Amino acid sequence: MTSIQFLSLAVGLFGVGALAALLFGASGKASRFVSAFFGLLASVSGVIAVVMPMPEGVPSVRLFAVAPFGEFGLQMDSLSMLLVAIISLLGIATSLYAFTEAPARVSVSFFTDLFLGAMLVVVTVTNAFFFIVFWELMTLASYFLVVWEFDKKESARTGFIYFLVAHVGAAFIMVAFFLFFGRAGSFDFAAIRSTAFSPAVKNIVFVLAFLGFGAKAGMAPLHFWTPDTYAAAPNHVSALMSSVMKKTAVYGLLRVCVDLVGAPVLWWGFTVLAFGALSAVVGAFYALAEKDIKRLLALSSVENVGIILMGVGLGMAGVTLRQPELAVLGFLAALYHMLNHAFFKGLLFLGAGSVIEQTGTRDLNQMGGLGRRMPWTALTFLIGALAVTAIPPLNGFVSEWFTYQALLHASGMNLFALRVFVPLFAVLLALAGALAVMVYVKAYGGAFAGPARSKAAAQAVDGSAPVLVSLGYLVLGTILFGVGAPRVAPLIGYWAADFAGQPSMMVDTAWAVSVSNTMISPPLVAILLLGLLVVPVLVVAAYGGWRASRRSNVEPWSCGYGYAAPMSVRASNFDQPVKVSFRPLYWIRTVVDKPCRAIAGAYTATVSAIQRAEPVVENTVTRPTLKLVETAGQWIQTLQMGDIRLYCLYIIITLAILLIVLFGGSGL
Amino acid sequence: MNPWLVGIGLLQAVLLLLLAPLFSGFARVMRAKMHSRKGPPLLQNYRDIAKLMTRQEVVSEQAGWIFRLTPYLSLACMFLAAMIIPVLAADAPIEAAGDLILIVYLFALPRFFFAVAGLESGSTFAGIGARRELLVSALVEPILLLVIFVMALLAGTTDLWRISMKVAMGVFPYSLAYLLGMVAFAFAAYVEMGKLPFDLGEAEQELQEGPLAEYSGRSLAILKWSIYLKQLVLVALFMALFVPFGAMTSLSLVGFVLALVIFLVKAVLWYFIAGVLENAMARTRFMNAPALVWAALGVALLSFVFYLANV
Repeated sequence: MTSIQFLSLAVGLFGVGALAALLFGASGKASRFVSAFFGLLASVSGVIAVVMPMPEGVPSVRLFAVAPFGEFGLQMDSLSMLLVAIISLLGIATSLYAFTEAPARVSVSFFTDLFLGAMLVVVTVTNAFFFIVFWELMTLASYFLVVWEFDKKESARTGFIYFLVAHVGAAFIMVAFFLFFGRAGSFDFAAIRSTAFSPAVKNIVFVLAFLGFGAKAGMAPLHFWTPDTYAAAPNHVSALMSSVMKKTAVYGLLRVCVDLVGAPVLWWGFTVLAFGALSAVVGAFYALAEKDIKRLLALSSVENVGIILMGVGLGMAGVTLRQPELAVLGFLAALYHMLNHAFFKGLLFLGAGSVIEQTGTRDLNQMGGLGRRMPWTALTFLIGALAVTAIPPLNGFVSEWFTYQALLHASGMNLFALRVFVPLFAVLLALAGALAVMVYVKAYGGAFAGPARSKAAAQAVDGSAPVLVSLGYLVLGTILFGVGAPRVAPLIGYWAADFAGQPSMMVDTAWAVSVSNTMISPPLVAILLLGLLVVPVLVVAAYGGWRASRRSNVEPWSCGYGYAAPMSVRASNFDQPVKVSFRPLYWIRTVVDKPCRAIAGAYTATVSAIQRAEPVVENTVTRPTLKLVETAGQWIQTLQMGDIRLYCLYIIITLAILLIVLFGGSGL
Repeated sequence: MNPWLVGIGLLQAVLLLLLAPLFSGFARVMRAKMHSRKGPPLLQNYRDIAKLMTRQEVVSEQAGWIFRLTPYLSLACMFLAAMIIPVLAADAPIEAAGDLILIVYLFALPRFFFAVAGLESGSTFAGIGARRELLVSALVEPILLLVIFVMALLAGTTDLWRISMKVAMGVFPYSLAYLLGMVAFAFAAYVEMGKLPFDLGEAEQELQEGPLAEYSGRSLAILKWSIYLKQLVLVALFMALFVPFGAMTSLSLVGFVLALVIFLVKAVLWYFIAGVLENAMARTRFMNAPALVWAALGVALLSFVFYLANV
């Protein structure tokens, strides 16, 4: 089988998983199991598609054609390959996690697999029309996942905002594609790619794509919908939305603005870079002010998308300026951080999800002391936190290091605007990095350190085996993509160069990653750090300190008074000094928030249609759809005999048909 | 990797480790003299450490493994930093770990653990100390990075040893940008060393030594030692970046001894100036600290502007 067949198989398996979830709809648990099982199979198949040895050229397959819209086909060039890798690698983790921890609802099981499958198609499809179709499918599936608790008013509201933002964004993208169609006369990417567009069209397309994809990626200031949305979704879906769905938006931006329209214009790269820097800082500051662990993680994703966009912007500038080194370095930084962020943020969201399952709250102030109760979750969360704060030698550091190198490279360019602003963006990145340390000390400290601050927290235990396996798997990736950077970076560098249409310039060394004038060796740093732990041990031994005894049953010192748990520093007062020192920034948010709400209020008041639209969408679309899916299982079941073996037979038959359709035609 | 250079790296790290309490002792003596007190003997820190090592350790029942690991990790991390900064030779002790950005981010590792340990102990003082520590570093980090960027742009690399070599060999523009960068970096290093008015580690009255509050016995000894070492490493980092003069540019025994002596003189000078500054300053409210930091960021920005203007 070829890699593209494995890819098609993965897409098909996700579809089968979704259908199977419906078939077993009589029992939420059974549907959850089959959905997770097929999700896992599909993800593995997706990973195989990426790691398979590649034939010459871009592997692609044409499946069918629809008259005016063109051909539906899948292809895997280097950019798609990376995205398929991210989706599949994360799909493995969330599917494992979903076995026991996902909500046992048919709708969740159904839409999760649909969501994953749609994303796989989005990043590999070769036609703008079908891109939009699957983009919508992805958005809708995620929307129904966000409103899974549709009986809660809060969740419905959140879902509505997400629905609105996603569709305004999608409309922008659609307009951009229609502009393409108007000039190229076809929706096929290949035709669009070979058409030359006038500067005006190019600029309009960029603005539309930037806003549309930027909103979906959660770039500041279009990030406002992300905290609520991620918080409302089931935990493994939040992980997917943050780790994977965001990346599909970055993929869209790269595909449209670099690949399809031809050479980008300089101000594009600059705009993307500037908004990236803004997102990085804003995300970090606002994440720090959160006490809801999922909102905190969501805002931290805004920060990381900012870092990714900085790389994208630099890469675009490199392409425009015909600076192959800058182009490759920028895209390498962006793509590498996309992969890394998927791993550590997936890890953090799933870890947080496990904690939320145990404590029944998302409020960090209600947790505490979980480090002793949930040691494995705590350890994995800690490693994720270290990675996201870019602490060497974990993966977050390596990609951030590449970002810094790209920034430095751009600062040395013979162009005044870059020379002036890029170092300042680097300063913002440094500020965001330092704030991220605070954010994650707060997150880890609030949840896992100190005394337990609620009854539930005092009785929490580590999650089930599949949960721990999925956390361990993500930790492994987080460490390997950092320490193994000398192996990973050249590959991603090659992909980045291929995508940018530049010669690859990565020096393939066995143990270090290098950039023009600098190199670092994450494995060496890791070995030295671990090895040097011997120094303090020897120092203590030299003083005979190991003979001294230790007592660990005392209370923390509290000026001679009796100690009580509320005396410890809670998550919500941890960030107080920052809130005071950077009061203007938070003030802006409060100030901007008011008119925003006022505008939103006026909007809803005046445009009564919209006002009606919300309950209308609520009552005529959302609820019935979810109810339909929920009952579809039972409904389908009544048609059958109720024998589990029969269901299995159906699935096998579906699979067989799928395989025949996929591979029969290709003469396998 | 040149094995001689690796050897020098290891040797200088051991030397810095052994000398660090002495330098802090010197700072203590100096403060006492400026306060017209008799003060502790120069070697008091060594005695404190020796005593603490053999004392029973008392750990809060809240504390977990991070609390226990932190002192050891902290010292190991600082030892690594002492190994990879070019102190005695301007050349890289370990070429593949000589990147400035790596070194700056390496400092975040013990900071992260230190702060989490503070929270883990469950102590009020440790928790508040932890958050203050992190705020100060968040304020200082942009300054550090801007100066590093200016230096890296002037030298064309982020490798500390390459910059160090260029500055030491005189193939570097000793411009106004360089001088102002030096001032801003010195300020950042001074703050990171935990000196007044940002002093957190020694705020004996209010904050019970911040995140150190719950430590005792050998853990406290190791942690204190790692703080002493951090201070000396920061001095070494400053010297390597801005005044590496005297460090060996080619390896020889005479050069080694000379480099060691010159480094010690430079370090004493640094501690002396820092001591004078510290003791000449009043302790301000913690919340006033950001204002001072903004001023330093201004100096760093000025350095950047001069770099742009090629002055």
